[in-house]
Amino acid sequence: MTTAPTPAPAPAPERLRIVIAEDAAIMRDGLTQTLTRRGHDVVAAVADGEALRQAVDQHRPDVAIIDVRMPPTHTDEGLRAAQAIHRDHPDVGVLVFSQYIETQTAAELFATAPGGVGYLLKDRVADVSDFIDAITRVAQGGTVLDPEVVRQLLSAGRRASTLAALTPREREVLSLIAQGRSNAAIAAALFISPKVVEKHVANIFGKLGLIPDDNDNRRVIAALRYLES
Amino acid sequence: MNTWLRDHPWQADGLLAAVLLAFSAPQLAAGTAGVGGRAGYIAVGVLLCAIVIPRRRYPVAAFAVAAAVGAAQVAWGVQPGAAQPPVFALQPNDADLAILILLYTLAAYRPRPVSLTGLAVCLAGAAVAIARWSPAQHAYAGGAIFGAAAGLGGVTLTAWVLGDSVAYRYRRARFSALEERAARLEAERDAQARVAAAAERARELQDRRARAVDESAARLRRIERDLHDGAQVRLAALAMTLGEIKENLAQAGDDRTLALARAAHQNAKDTLTELRDLARGIHPPVLDRGLGPALGILAATSALPVTVTADLAERPSPAIEAMAYFCAAELLANAAKHSGAGQVAVGLREQDHGLLMSVTDDGPGGARLVPGGGLAGLLERVQTVDGRLEVDSPPGGPTTVTVELPRHA
Repeated sequence: MTTAPTPAPAPAPERLRIVIAEDAAIMRDGLTQTLTRRGHDVVAAVADGEALRQAVDQHRPDVAIIDVRMPPTHTDEGLRAAQAIHRDHPDVGVLVFSQYIETQTAAELFATAPGGVGYLLKDRVADVSDFIDAITRVAQGGTVLDPEVVRQLLSAGRRASTLAALTPREREVLSLIAQGRSNAAIAAALFISPKVVEKHVANIFGKLGLIPDDNDNRRVIAALRYLES
Repeated sequence: MNTWLRDHPWQADGLLAAVLLAFSAPQLAAGTAGVGGRAGYIAVGVLLCAIVIPRRRYPVAAFAVAAAVGAAQVAWGVQPGAAQPPVFALQPNDADLAILILLYTLAAYRPRPVSLTGLAVCLAGAAVAIARWSPAQHAYAGGAIFGAAAGLGGVTLTAWVLGDSVAYRYRRARFSALEERAARLEAERDAQARVAAAAERARELQDRRARAVDESAARLRRIERDLHDGAQVRLAALAMTLGEIKENLAQAGDDRTLALARAAHQNAKDTLTELRDLARGIHPPVLDRGLGPALGILAATSALPVTVTADLAERPSPAIEAMAYFCAAELLANAAKHSGAGQVAVGLREQDHGLLMSVTDDGPGGARLVPGGGLAGLLERVQTVDGRLEVDSPPGGPTTVTVELPRHA
């Protein structure tokens, strides 16, 4: 993750069972090796949506890492597969990653899968610990949204009048909320106290007309849906 | 004058008949027979004059009537041997000139075989007339008969030749008119052939251009996909490895190598970003899902609030979709940068055999197509597929740029 300082790589609390769906062999192998080196268990690495669904049916992994563009059409097979997996196996986390970030794809993904879902730019694999952290959060039912989505939405200037009401600090906080960070994580990232974060969050949701909720996921979805509406 | 004579045959020939009647009148008036015979004599003269009137409309019939009158005159108006007095009404007179006029007409207006028959009839009639006339009058010696025959024959021949020469001139004129018309038709046919060849060539070029445009779009799409499947993936894998190296070095405490690895890692990530922007500029992958979703993404990432109304029943060719997309991207960027607008509306709908895209902003207007400008560049781009681009930007706004594109290149 680029917007927050890299936290000290904490040892994975659990050994995740992972399925990878990526049609580029070099990325598939690289991910498999990296995740294995970090103590996770890549139970299957496949190259298309159909094989992915079979692997998920068979292995019931904690999380599936899915490339959006896969054969045969190279458009949004990964997204469709992720939605199908979430429908058939709500307990399997899906992390969709892509060469491009599209707010519409994010909206579609989060509309069908309110929890245990992530959407990341493929570049994010470069920051290995952050990437594995994201996988872990998704596996645990959390939400991960690429900062790029938030950046696009904020720079889009839509709802300009409403968003204009936010202070720069509140925008920063909203951006981190949209990425699925907890209040504690936001506090650490911005070097402020959790109390101050809570105050910012209350202000943001107040200004955006949303009812605050203790659940991180709900906050993200609310924010995303609001921004996407 | 000539034209009038030609174009008004009835009046002209009526005049001719009148002149002939005037010419014959003294002789007709001077007749010496009884009242009944004299009236017949005048009637035959007037008939001969009158028959001239329809000469051009009915050359053969007119000649036939006059020739019949002439034949009757020769038969009954002259009585050789004077055993019986001739029929006075059928005495030859000056109005017989009508026969010559009608022979002339026959030669001028009818084919040669017809006019030659007329000539033969006249010459025969003249010969018979002279043969019967001379002994009846006891007027001529042998030499004189020859002279009369030669004179009458000569006059008859002259009338025929005059008429025939007119017919010849007329035929020649008609022939040259036909020739001219043939030449014109040939020229026309050549021109038509040239036009057809040009049209064929234009169609061929159009096909070739469409293929080139489609191929170019397909090639760009392939390049983007190759980048996506090749360089981008390799670079991402490389960055991942560098990231791991970096983290391992951090744990090992090798600060100098760590700094190098960190720089290399950052470099790889920056290159990924650049490569992604480059690939997206070559062919936005979202276009594969259709123009509507692609415009939606454009709208979502625009610096201005943008509403998109897309209504296309079927997808245009990929090249046209790409062209429409890049036009919309450029127009939205323009609107954000220059228009001073608060919001933009993008409309996309079908029109005739293509699509019509309009981008309207509520800025103060004044946008113009200037050579070398962004809008001119777009115009050139859409013109490569016979598309059109129009700018409507009155002072005070709103500004609407309309882009018309065919469904296929």
